[in-house]
Amino acid sequence: MSEMETILIVEDEQQIREAVAMALESEGFHVRQAGSASHAAVQAATHKHQLVILDLGLPDRDGVEFIRDYRAWSSTPILILSARSEERSKVDALDAGADDYLTKPFGIAELLARVRALLRRRQFSPNDEPQATLLFGEYTIDCVNRSVTRHGQAIHLSQIEYRLLAFFAANPGRVLTHRHLLSQVWGGQAVENPQYLRVYVGHLRQKIEDNPTQPRHILTEIGVGYRFQP
Amino acid sequence: MRNIKQWMPAVGYSWAVLGTALGSLLLSPLHNLVDLSNVALLYVLAVVLVAVTYGRGPAVLSALFSSLCYAYFFVPPHFSLAITEAQYLLATVIMLGVALMVGHLTSRLKRHADYADQKSTESTKLYELSQALASATTPDSVIALAGRFFIDARLARQVRVFLPDEFEAAEDPVTPALLKKCVDYGQLLSRPLGAGHFYAVMPLTAASGVQGVLGLEVEAQVLGSEQAVEYIETVASVIAVAMERSFFAAKARETEIKHAAEALRSSILSALSHDLRTPLTALVGMAEALALGKAPVERQKPLLEAIRNQALSISQQMTNLLDMAKLSAGKFELNSDWQPIEEVLGATLQQAEFQWPSRKIRVSMEPDLPPVNIDAVLIERVLWNLVENAIKYSPDHAEIEIGVKRSDEHIEINVCDHGSGIDLSRREALFEVFQRGKVESEVPGVGLGLSIAKTIVEAHGGRISARNRNGRGSCFQIQLPLGNPPVFDEMDDRE
Repeated sequence: MSEMETILIVEDEQQIREAVAMALESEGFHVRQAGSASHAAVQAATHKHQLVILDLGLPDRDGVEFIRDYRAWSSTPILILSARSEERSKVDALDAGADDYLTKPFGIAELLARVRALLRRRQFSPNDEPQATLLFGEYTIDCVNRSVTRHGQAIHLSQIEYRLLAFFAANPGRVLTHRHLLSQVWGGQAVENPQYLRVYVGHLRQKIEDNPTQPRHILTEIGVGYRFQP
Repeated sequence: MRNIKQWMPAVGYSWAVLGTALGSLLLSPLHNLVDLSNVALLYVLAVVLVAVTYGRGPAVLSALFSSLCYAYFFVPPHFSLAITEAQYLLATVIMLGVALMVGHLTSRLKRHADYADQKSTESTKLYELSQALASATTPDSVIALAGRFFIDARLARQVRVFLPDEFEAAEDPVTPALLKKCVDYGQLLSRPLGAGHFYAVMPLTAASGVQGVLGLEVEAQVLGSEQAVEYIETVASVIAVAMERSFFAAKARETEIKHAAEALRSSILSALSHDLRTPLTALVGMAEALALGKAPVERQKPLLEAIRNQALSISQQMTNLLDMAKLSAGKFELNSDWQPIEEVLGATLQQAEFQWPSRKIRVSMEPDLPPVNIDAVLIERVLWNLVENAIKYSPDHAEIEIGVKRSDEHIEINVCDHGSGIDLSRREALFEVFQRGKVESEVPGVGLGLSIAKTIVEAHGGRISARNRNGRGSCFQIQLPLGNPPVFDEMDDRE
């Protein structure tokens, strides 16, 4: 790592904030801390960060609103921390543009793994430029010819299956909500029909997973959506 | 019906006159052949007929008119009202007297018979009403039955019941003052609505007090009839008793729920004080040993790991307690959607692999299972609880087996382990709140997992059960009903 990556932690509980900061610092990250949404807004505006870790239950402002405002001008990945009582706002936060979530209480090992995944994704596409070829596991997606191969062998996918897989592969490690996937793959009119999504995810798993009941790539985030693991 | 009844008297009077006149004209040519006294009897017979059919008024008219016709057509001189002999005058007067008396008696008998008939119809209807009311369990259903009864019986055009807590807000056609007065006086009060209609209010009084006020929009003539008012009063008292009973039933249900909630609360308290305080004590002890430097270096890491595990297990139990409190308060809504069961199961397996990476879980799933209409988050909770139990209560190396198949109208999921099995005598109790397989167990937990599972599965219209396997170990089974999944065309999608 040539340049030290900076992470902004927004959390009002000091003990949690410090435990997270300590863990991240020991991994070589540079950490800035904020105890409220207003403080976080100032920090975000004056410094550059590569990742934001945001607690949804802030005392001065709704975390979901913070994400919406932040997303208006920045595409920096956001990892949200939510308590069980905020289950519903978790989906709202993801729909508003957050990338991943952890439910309290979470383990530090899990937190570090998520942080690494989000930062890695950033390195893949620093300017969100579309890539001609996406790779995951033993698969290659050729976005120009719209084809998928495994060990050089073509996999037959329908139009929608292809679009779904390409969208998943372009967003590795990220939690994609049902609503987000439906609007991206099917278009706006389909967002109220999650069963479409389930059926096609089922088809896709049959075609690309070795064991569709215990998938390796398209993981279910129950009640939220899916996470693609390359 | 109403029209005929209205015209009845007029028809009766017309018949009394016309019938008698017509009969007299037909019979008059025979006045020489028939004896005068027989003719008189014929007239009396006609009066009786009129009395039976039309009642007292027409009968009296018929008697008077008969005696005139008798005098005119049959008493010599014929076709004249003049009576020449004293005995003929006497005969005519006697005929009049007998006709009047017979007419009067007959009409009274008829009235009694009609009255008895009406009473019997009313009692039958009242009986039917009380039978229907007996099966009404809520005040609302009582009110609905009462309304239908009054309208069917044509006693009222519109019916409603004002409950005591609605009195203050009562609006046109009644006023809070009218309702209050009605309750205070304990009797039927009415006020005119115009067009021959009245609004009548009547207190619904039962043994425990006033249950409400009955409001009826009735015709003026209903209020004019003492009998109808009496009948309405009787019906009102039947309704009042039914209302009282349904109120008590509702209150009993409420109390029962409150008791259950109370019992749950006290169990939660005892669970918190015993099952959570013990691990917390250990937690404090371990942390203190570290903080005071009482732990040798080589034991510090295992101690810290133990603290983390202990804290995570307390957190899990807290989650269970909170979920149970939420579920038993009835404050949860199923957020159901049609989805493949393997997706939900997949999420559970993913989580289990994360927590117990070395544990082997074997899944056998029937192919092409239809989707089920479930709340994925809650059913995942159930599966997780079953899998967690299977792992916790069986040896570390033992395999867990999960089978999913279709049986009749259900999807059946079996989670089986190679543990020590369950005590069959406590099979049902296992699913109750704060019940555990063993009373004192080294495995942490407060005994909520299975009761949460049961509550959730039953909310989905399914069943959960436990049994022992032939070899060693136990199987927990859930059955979820298969409905009719919606068919949707798989949007234009070519390979």
